[in-house]
Amino acid sequence: MRKLFFLLSTLVLIQAIFSKGIVPNGQGKRLLVLLDTYSIRETHSTFFKSLRDRGFQITFKTADEPDLALTKYSEYIFDHLALFCPNVAEFGGNITTKSVVDFIDDGGNVLVAASSQLAEPIREIAGECGIEFSDEGTSVIDRFNSDVNDDGQNTLIVSEAQNLINNNLIVGNAKSGAPLLYRGIAMTADPENPLLLEILTASSYSYSYNPSEKISEYPHSVGKGTLLISALQARNNARVVFVGSLDFFSNDFFESAVQRAAVNSKRFDKSGNQDLAVSLSQWVFKEKGVIRVGGIDHHKVGEKRPPVAYTIKEDIVYSIKIEEMVNGKWVPFQAKDVQLEFVRLDPFVRTTLTNSNGNFNVKFKIPDVYGIFKFVVDYNRIGYTHLFSSTQVSVRPLEHTQYERFIPAAFPYYASAFSMMAAVFLFTFIQLYHVDEEKQNIEQM
Amino acid sequence: MSNVTKRNVPSATKPSTSAAAQKPAKQEPESIVHSKNDAHDPTGVKTILIVACLGCIWLIGFASRLFSVIRYESIIHEFDPWFNYRATYHMVTTSFYEFLNWFDERAWYPLGRIVGGTVYPGLMITSGGIHWLLSNMNITIHIREICVFLAPFFSGLTAISTYLLTKELWSQGAGLFAAAFIGIVPGYISRSVAGSYDNEGIAIFALMFTYYLWIKSVKTGRVFWAILTALSYFYMVSAWGGYVFIINLIPLHVFVLMIIGRYSDRIYVAYSVFYIIGTILSMQIPFVGFQPIRTSEHMAAAGTFALIQAYAFLNYLKSKLSAKEFRSFFIFAVTLAAGVVFAGVVALTYFGYIAPWSGRFYSLWDTGYAKIHIPIITSVSEHQPTTWTSFFFDLHILACIFPAGVWFCIKELNDERVFIVLYAVFASYFAGVMVRLILTLTPVVCILSAIALSNLNLVVQIIEIFCHEINIFFRTLEYYLFDENIGQDKSVDKELKDKSQYDEKVPRSFPLSKPQQDKNLNPNLKTFVVIALAVLLVLFAAHCTWVTSNAYSSPSIVLATYSESGQRQIIDDFREAYYWLRKNTQDDARIMSWWDYGYQIAGMGNRTTLVDNNTWNNSHIALVGKAMSSNESEAYKIMRELDVDYVLVIFGGLIGYSGDDINKFLWMVRIAEGEHPKDIRESDYFTEQGEFRVDAGGSKTLLNCLMYKLSYYRFGEIQVDYRTPPGFDRTRNVEIGNKNFKLEHLEEAFTSEHWIVRIFRVKEPSNRTPNKDLLRKIKRNKSVHSKKGKKRQGVIKNKPVVVKGKSATIKK
Repeated sequence: MRKLFFLLSTLVLIQAIFSKGIVPNGQGKRLLVLLDTYSIRETHSTFFKSLRDRGFQITFKTADEPDLALTKYSEYIFDHLALFCPNVAEFGGNITTKSVVDFIDDGGNVLVAASSQLAEPIREIAGECGIEFSDEGTSVIDRFNSDVNDDGQNTLIVSEAQNLINNNLIVGNAKSGAPLLYRGIAMTADPENPLLLEILTASSYSYSYNPSEKISEYPHSVGKGTLLISALQARNNARVVFVGSLDFFSNDFFESAVQRAAVNSKRFDKSGNQDLAVSLSQWVFKEKGVIRVGGIDHHKVGEKRPPVAYTIKEDIVYSIKIEEMVNGKWVPFQAKDVQLEFVRLDPFVRTTLTNSNGNFNVKFKIPDVYGIFKFVVDYNRIGYTHLFSSTQVSVRPLEHTQYERFIPAAFPYYASAFSMMAAVFLFTFIQLYHVDEEKQNIEQM
Repeated sequence: MSNVTKRNVPSATKPSTSAAAQKPAKQEPESIVHSKNDAHDPTGVKTILIVACLGCIWLIGFASRLFSVIRYESIIHEFDPWFNYRATYHMVTTSFYEFLNWFDERAWYPLGRIVGGTVYPGLMITSGGIHWLLSNMNITIHIREICVFLAPFFSGLTAISTYLLTKELWSQGAGLFAAAFIGIVPGYISRSVAGSYDNEGIAIFALMFTYYLWIKSVKTGRVFWAILTALSYFYMVSAWGGYVFIINLIPLHVFVLMIIGRYSDRIYVAYSVFYIIGTILSMQIPFVGFQPIRTSEHMAAAGTFALIQAYAFLNYLKSKLSAKEFRSFFIFAVTLAAGVVFAGVVALTYFGYIAPWSGRFYSLWDTGYAKIHIPIITSVSEHQPTTWTSFFFDLHILACIFPAGVWFCIKELNDERVFIVLYAVFASYFAGVMVRLILTLTPVVCILSAIALSNLNLVVQIIEIFCHEINIFFRTLEYYLFDENIGQDKSVDKELKDKSQYDEKVPRSFPLSKPQQDKNLNPNLKTFVVIALAVLLVLFAAHCTWVTSNAYSSPSIVLATYSESGQRQIIDDFREAYYWLRKNTQDDARIMSWWDYGYQIAGMGNRTTLVDNNTWNNSHIALVGKAMSSNESEAYKIMRELDVDYVLVIFGGLIGYSGDDINKFLWMVRIAEGEHPKDIRESDYFTEQGEFRVDAGGSKTLLNCLMYKLSYYRFGEIQVDYRTPPGFDRTRNVEIGNKNFKLEHLEEAFTSEHWIVRIFRVKEPSNRTPNKDLLRKIKRNKSVHSKKGKKRQGVIKNKPVVVKGKSATIKK
């Protein structure tokens, strides 16, 4: 019996050590790459090598293998997923579009590379994230910005780095770098959707159509509305990046020289693709732009612990510790624009927190309003994970002993009370000891 | 007339009558005559008898209020009592000062409620005091039991103080009658059954006791009694908002006495002492605070106080001036004083020092006011105008007898009877305005009915007069009808003559003098009247018991139905659901429901509520009403703003419980419309014909609002009866109009056994925002391979086929 118990507890222990769900915040390094064919592993080796160099444990599979699975014993066995399989019509094994979407909802990060030959499952995953790909067979066509090496269909396009989103966390230094080479499908997104980021838009001259067909209807997307690279950061901070071009990550494009097919255009010896691809992968796999709340503390000025309830008009101190993930370590977050709101339906106090090496704090006076308040730090910046912290506290009115006892306005009342007492005393005294002279005379007579 | 009343004490007090006759009341005011007579009791038998009677009344009153405890259990009833119980519990488990400073963060999220400053603490202090006393005597008892039995216990005290008051007004016999009536009358029982732990339970006692002491102080004119009145008034103020009735009625009494020339120094002393001490004491209650000097409701008392000072001063001048000089000066001065007081009040109101009448007060005078301006007041069932049937239901025969009592009092008017007449007049008016104010009418009805009944001789006289009148009427009729041929129809005349034969003493001559006084009453008639009245009283007692048992003894949180075989079934959905909340939701979960259930959720579920029965913040209630009457996505925005975790609705459609939220729904719409007229319009919820219907013909707005969806979620799948279609609402007897809908932002968390309580959880915002238009278009092909299960091969289009010895080709 004891043996059995020992065995069981060992098993439980082993289970506890080895079973992991998705490791959040960029510390998980298990990456599953699904490919159309294994040849992609070779043609895109530079990109995968950069990932491996950064410590990722990459598992390559073709998307139709029958033993595919994201989970084992209901635990996720991968933290990240890269779908380099635009042609997949149906995933093999356990993976379905739904399981990929669930993976995102459970916090997994996904990098999707598409191409002109895009099958339904990838479209569906994109649709679940709010992204719409153009029809199958279409490409982004740009007659003014095609590369010199283009085959005449104007589908190999040169995208200026200025079209990138202005955010170093996502695109690194690529914004000031060389132009980008792109050959692939177009995307559109609902501009109202607050969770989507337009990382790279096409130029104003571009449109999306099948290059081998005659244009007979309005293209699916035109101009700046055409997205080449887009991203979703879901509410649970899972990140999904969609790149419309599988070739974008290829060794060819990384190494290729870039020159617009126009007179006097500048030639770059190396495209900006590699820089951008590396930055994007760092961002999407949560190596960059990850912040978290390390701890919250609030108390009255001069005290250490928070009270059961605050009283109106008290001076209080609020501090929040925010950390950022840098190179796999949590370091104090350096920012100057973190704000605190003290909310009861509406914010009654909104103030900027001062940063002292990752400890953001502020001292303020509670307004003369009682109720249930919340300290809310809602730090929402592009590129960073969404940082939201809400702490509920009660603010109560003064207790009956906390009012001021002697106020100047009451002096007339004190005066009247005491003068009344004196008068009653005097009156009583006279009443008792005063005898009318006449009466006295009469009595005496 | 006075010697009549002297004799007219009930038979029980007969021995004293002769004694009183021998010892005529000297220099005593008229009013004290009765009590003097009553007090003469050399053997003490009468006192024992009276004490025994009052003891029995107390016992009966207590026992007849126990129906609910015996049928169900010792449980707090309804809505408000749950808050009172929760507050009492808080006070007993902590301390009085904790209670005074209690800031309830679980109510009115996120505003909170200062309980100590917004509650009449008399009830809690009373039961807390009893608990303290008992536990100090080593009688351990749970505070809940005290709360449950407090109101029946106080009904006995009410009976005793009613006895005392009536004794002061009329006689001991009348007092016993009044005590017996108030002990069992349904109008009072409705608020004081066991478990009905509400302010009114103790406030009626305080009301009657204050009036008794006031009458006493008016009679004696002694500072002692006036101070006692003020103390009793203080208790009343601490117990119930109805104290405003006292502080208006007593000044009115004084004012009327001054007008009809009954001013005396006794009244001056009584009122001046009472007003000053009473006002200062009442201001000690935090909830009342400065209201007695700042609001219009209390200005009548202050004005009367000023007036009586002026009057007394002029009276003093009168003694110094000659009568002739004085007369003109007096009238001028009194008018001037009254005018100055009135103008002062108006000016202070105008400049904002005195708050104008509150809406609730206005609605007492203008019955249409609340309907237009404050729907939240009108929405409460007990604020509806009273129907005639409810007068009879609550007062039965007393409602018919009590005008006779008023008549007797007016007939033999003195200072204190002026008071009871005023009380009767105003209470009758208010009871006609609001159902719940029958409660204040009930005691005076009991008193006056008792006065009427205790004057049996007078009653007999009245009947005699009545018979006489009939006689005259017939004679007159005869006279006019048969004027011309009076001789022809002798038979009718004869019949009439025979009819009047039964009473020889009634004078048959025409000039109708007053009927002869008592001495020669017809004994037959007297017996008849006594028997008839006895039968009436027996019927009254039977009615009281029946009403108590059937109408006023349901806890309303536990329902009972009777099956066809007569078996009783208990429907305990409310407690089931509240207990679920208590056990299955996180401690700080916020529950949104209509305000009716706020106290119960807090009391039984121990969870935070947004609005509750203390309807102090109309706009917050309107916000909840707006959420309930909006469509789901609009409501979701409001619910997110208010941090709602769960929504609770009451739904009676499955078992036919009519007090559910759909039936209350129009009030939610109206209250929401009052604050958000742009978003919510009542007319949207009616059909074009102006009907409110939940079936397929109902308005689209109604069929898609949150309340409808939550009430009827998945109800369309249920078929209760083979004779009705699925989704048949048994409360409204229609098939619902919107079935098979899905909820987007909420999910069902709990539904009680009979579906009465339904609780829904508010979901977090979705993790992603899918592109729905696109997803609809995507063709989801059937799986192309046959193999199911884990090990299935996927499909990749355009996959290069690798053939050994050849270069890769693209499969077509």
